[in-house]
Amino acid sequence: MDNTQTRRAQRAIAYGFLFFTLISMATPFVWMLSNTFKEQSEIFERRPTLIPEEPHLRNYVSLFVDFDFHKHFLNSAFIAVVHTFSHLFLASLAGFAFAKYNFPLKNFLFLVLLGSMMVPLYTIFIPLFVLVIRLGLVNSYAGVIIPGVAGAFGIFFMKQSMEAVPGELLDSARIDGASEFRIYWQIALPLVRPSLAVLAVLAFMGSWNDFVWPLVVLRSRELQTLPVVMAGMVNLYRMEYGVVMAASLLSTLPILLLFLALQKQFVQGLTVGAVKS
Amino acid sequence: MSSPSIVEDRGLRAWWSRSERKVVPYVFISPFYFLFIVFSVGPLFYALYLSLHRWPGTGPMRYVGLGNYTYLAGDPVFLKSLWNTVYYAIGAFLFILPLALVLALLINSTLIRIKSLFRIGYFLPILTSTVAATIMFLLIFNNEFGLINQGLASLGIPALKWLDEELVKISVLAVVTWRYTGINVLYFLTGLQSIPPELYEAAQVDGAGTWAQFRYITLPQLRPIALFVGVVTMIGSFQLFAEPMLLANGGPNDASLTIANYLYRMGFTNAKLGYGSAIGWVLALIIFGLSFIQLYLFGAFRKED
Repeated sequence: MDNTQTRRAQRAIAYGFLFFTLISMATPFVWMLSNTFKEQSEIFERRPTLIPEEPHLRNYVSLFVDFDFHKHFLNSAFIAVVHTFSHLFLASLAGFAFAKYNFPLKNFLFLVLLGSMMVPLYTIFIPLFVLVIRLGLVNSYAGVIIPGVAGAFGIFFMKQSMEAVPGELLDSARIDGASEFRIYWQIALPLVRPSLAVLAVLAFMGSWNDFVWPLVVLRSRELQTLPVVMAGMVNLYRMEYGVVMAASLLSTLPILLLFLALQKQFVQGLTVGAVKS
Repeated sequence: MSSPSIVEDRGLRAWWSRSERKVVPYVFISPFYFLFIVFSVGPLFYALYLSLHRWPGTGPMRYVGLGNYTYLAGDPVFLKSLWNTVYYAIGAFLFILPLALVLALLINSTLIRIKSLFRIGYFLPILTSTVAATIMFLLIFNNEFGLINQGLASLGIPALKWLDEELVKISVLAVVTWRYTGINVLYFLTGLQSIPPELYEAAQVDGAGTWAQFRYITLPQLRPIALFVGVVTMIGSFQLFAEPMLLANGGPNDASLTIANYLYRMGFTNAKLGYGSAIGWVLALIIFGLSFIQLYLFGAFRKED
């Protein structure tokens, strides 16, 4: 009897702590949502109102009319989509080669690949920027996309799943006279579709949320991505809080929807590094 | 006239069908190495070269030897940014990791039935961009109308200035904790779920209590995941950039400035590309050094017995 009571108390404490943390984490989201419908004067009021007194959509309207939100949204979407497809292609191709061929220097090259993940972004930041200027890629989407398109992590990840593709399938295609690229494209690639989905989600999110590199590469406003524009809207002295919150909310929405649709792929993708360690 | 080319073509084709499988893997992996050399290795050495020069981005460079580095060692703003960054890293280890471990242990325990609600709920903040996340917190920490101060006021507690010099680092840490706790919960959960249940069964047969099981099974079995989480947290903390920049612009009085913020200020705002590159190399050496120490402490270099 005593034992079940202790267990009940333990359970109450455990749930209490978990829910408390959950509510604390949800608060900024909820507060942001509520404030997107408020007038600046109501945000500044000392008495917080969760449900806006006079809810309106003027902040959202201003976002599109004054800040061209839709254009920057499309910029972000374009960069993220191009990045995702190019990254998937290059990573799966190289992953296929590392998994399914034996060639001289393979192990050494793979070690170099793993080592490349150690280079800190900020160390190469300034020279990379100088290089992108010299190549004439500054203020272009190519300058944003190309330097980071062939990530080592993606290749490592694809190698793991390509290893499960049966070699007999590839050999029988060779006997039928298929080229090596066709074997990759028509046989191996369809078999690793689930892994491609996981990597796609990661690549898209990384590119969509990327801030520092697009910040320095994209000089003219009409090319800029959402995080860059949003950061520009933050002004510690004079700022339209409602509009900035609306931008923040809408910019998070695509990833949130993607997450709700592809939950499993997200969780798998973000923890894959931990599993492989 | 055309016959030699046909012969040549045949030869080429025969050569290709003989050696396609030898050549093709190099072709398939070459884009990565090409991009890696051009956009990582090259810049890494160019950064080293730049760090030995004084250069405003245009015109001639002036060789200054280790001048940038010796200046760095006595630059009060750099030392402040170094201290701030160390503060964030220590804070991340003290707040995020224990919190994440406790949450993971609770979710994994038999006490809790609705596990996925918490797993997914905690996970959501990592989906936001650092920019969107930080912007959200401007409404929480604002000195005048921020949610926390309004809450304190309703309890009769005087407002605290969350974005002033004394508290701004705590506020940055709060944003970072909010955003990264969930992902670490998932890492720890992955680790907990990979512990073979037989270990616990055997311990129970031997009469080990909950604490003993935690101390002698859970903790040692979590070692590989703890190493991974530790290295990722350390590397992430040392590259913190957007949160202090957007929350307080690195201030007030550089109180929230990180090394990455200072590098950006020197390299891009002040056009001191040599000096900025020196900061970058010092940052790299710190990250390499700390990674190495962590790997060493966790015995990653020890041979398996």
